[in-house]
Amino acid sequence: MYKYVLKRLAWMIPIILGVSVIIFCILSVTPGDPGTFILGAGGTQADVDELNRKLGYDLPAWQRYFKYMFGALRLDLGTSYMTKLSVLDEVLAKAPVSVSVAFLGILTSLVIGIPLGVLSAVKQYSLLDAIPTFLAIFLAAAPSFWVGLMLMVFFSVKLGWLPSQGITSIKGYFMPMLSLGLIYGAQTLRFTRSSMLETIRQDYVRTAKAKGASERAVIWKHAMQNALLPVITVTGNNFGALLGGAIVTETLFGLPGLGTYIVAGIKAKDIPVVMGGTISLAILFSIVMLLMDLLYAYVDPRIKAKYAGNRG
Amino acid sequence: MAETLLEVKDLAVKYKTDLETVFAVNGISFSLNKGETLGIVGETGAGKTTTALTILRLLPERVGVVGKGQVLFEGEDLLALPEHDMMKKRGDKISMIFQDPMTSLNPVHTIGGQIAEALRLHNEKNRTREQLEARVDEVLEMVGIPPSRKGDYPHQFSGGMKQRVVIAMALACEPDLLIADEPTTALDVTIQAQVLLLMRELRDRLQTAMILITHDLGVVAQMCDRVAVMYAGELVEKGTLADIFTGARHHPYTQGLFGSIPKLEDESKTLLHPIDGLMPDPTDLPEGCRFLPRCPHACEKCKEKQEDIALSPTHTARCHMLERKV
Repeated sequence: MYKYVLKRLAWMIPIILGVSVIIFCILSVTPGDPGTFILGAGGTQADVDELNRKLGYDLPAWQRYFKYMFGALRLDLGTSYMTKLSVLDEVLAKAPVSVSVAFLGILTSLVIGIPLGVLSAVKQYSLLDAIPTFLAIFLAAAPSFWVGLMLMVFFSVKLGWLPSQGITSIKGYFMPMLSLGLIYGAQTLRFTRSSMLETIRQDYVRTAKAKGASERAVIWKHAMQNALLPVITVTGNNFGALLGGAIVTETLFGLPGLGTYIVAGIKAKDIPVVMGGTISLAILFSIVMLLMDLLYAYVDPRIKAKYAGNRG
Repeated sequence: MAETLLEVKDLAVKYKTDLETVFAVNGISFSLNKGETLGIVGETGAGKTTTALTILRLLPERVGVVGKGQVLFEGEDLLALPEHDMMKKRGDKISMIFQDPMTSLNPVHTIGGQIAEALRLHNEKNRTREQLEARVDEVLEMVGIPPSRKGDYPHQFSGGMKQRVVIAMALACEPDLLIADEPTTALDVTIQAQVLLLMRELRDRLQTAMILITHDLGVVAQMCDRVAVMYAGELVEKGTLADIFTGARHHPYTQGLFGSIPKLEDESKTLLHPIDGLMPDPTDLPEGCRFLPRCPHACEKCKEKQEDIALSPTHTARCHMLERKV
């Protein structure tokens, strides 16, 4: 098992190299240069060239790539062209926000989605199935900014309980968490439901009933663990995607997260910001995926045996 | 006279969906004495498994509906029991072994845990955890699996071994009745023989009554005291093993079944004699004899409702032609 974890961690090296090459290439082939962006229309060509030279942008792309990557090896992710702030410091400040918002959102989605998904599967075709299913389809179809705005109208404007912007207090996390939780919870619900429906038709569920287990024990002890396997996969993917992809939510609630940081960097052709941000995301994503796979192995002994290289 | 354990009276079961109604079991009656083994034989789709699931009340919810009849177990109608009381019977008094051992064990639980669960659910004697574990070891040994493997998961066992685990699980509480639904069909022939031998041995040792569902007449000959032949949801012939295997007169369907087995001593080099045609559509069963469309002796009278004809005190068949010869 440890061997498997080490192997997976070692895999992060080629992943990071691949991600950095791709991002750097895209940034290099797109038109525009940082000097022009910073000086705007007012700068002369001479000023722009001078600034580009100072930023090290006059060198050929491959040289800049290696320079950046060797810096990154020493944990130096460069300084932002625009703000002159250290990218590493910025990332270290923003990543916890992104990770906690994504984590809380996913956690909420599981708390909402799994019990309701199981309920609607067990009570298939009843009202307890129809109502959650309707809500899930509704939420899955609703744009995320709309859900966020509605929460804001309710909690900030009507009730005045929560701040609409920022995370100056712990209260600020509540609405982003709920809005992500609702949207992803809808998806989790649908997934749990279909997975559960498939599982409760399995022979081993019938065997458990034939042993005299109660309906509840059959569902929670026998079906649940099996039904959760596909849900774990989807949840892992969602979690990974949310780390850098909750841009709408971050923007809406004024959260200083990684997603908005990178998008701002892309717009300004701020190469160190985009590179540093993306590499950090790739590392976070890989770690989340590894944790999910370990969870998978914990739930399913067949997978565990495969990781450990046992028979079977 | 031996004591009656199970009596099924005029049982009818249908599967109802929005599109159609499948008449799976249509008024069958049989009884089983304590310690006795009854074989139910018939083709796929004859309603054998449905009968078994009905006895345990494990028909698919909403879809499987009992139309009429009673299932008396020790004089008590199982079909009228509240679900909670039925749960106590399942696994304790009545156990079932399912057809496919590959899928009938939960892949994410250890086999020891799955056997222990059956014991824990019916732990009237309030045995301690250690006592239960000791019993798990005991039943594993009984079916020939080293108890050291109880922490292993189903995927670490072969098909035959899995079926032994399933048998151990079913017999852990020493039930009075064991229903085995094609217990060897999914296994290869050498393993089949081993598993059958094991089942026979355990049945004799534990004095368990058994309903053995199969389409393999060879298995029936090895295991059963009495035989019921099922066709399109009806029991067309019932009798002792000797009545069915060596009796002179049979329902045409039973004759057809035996005609479908190759005979070693047959010198004539003739091929098998399979029964022509297919079983009738269970959503649209013919009036009268269900076997009529395939029967070589069909006549006008077959279109009327058929009654069981007694051929001997232990032997009945549902065919009017047998009546004439009396």
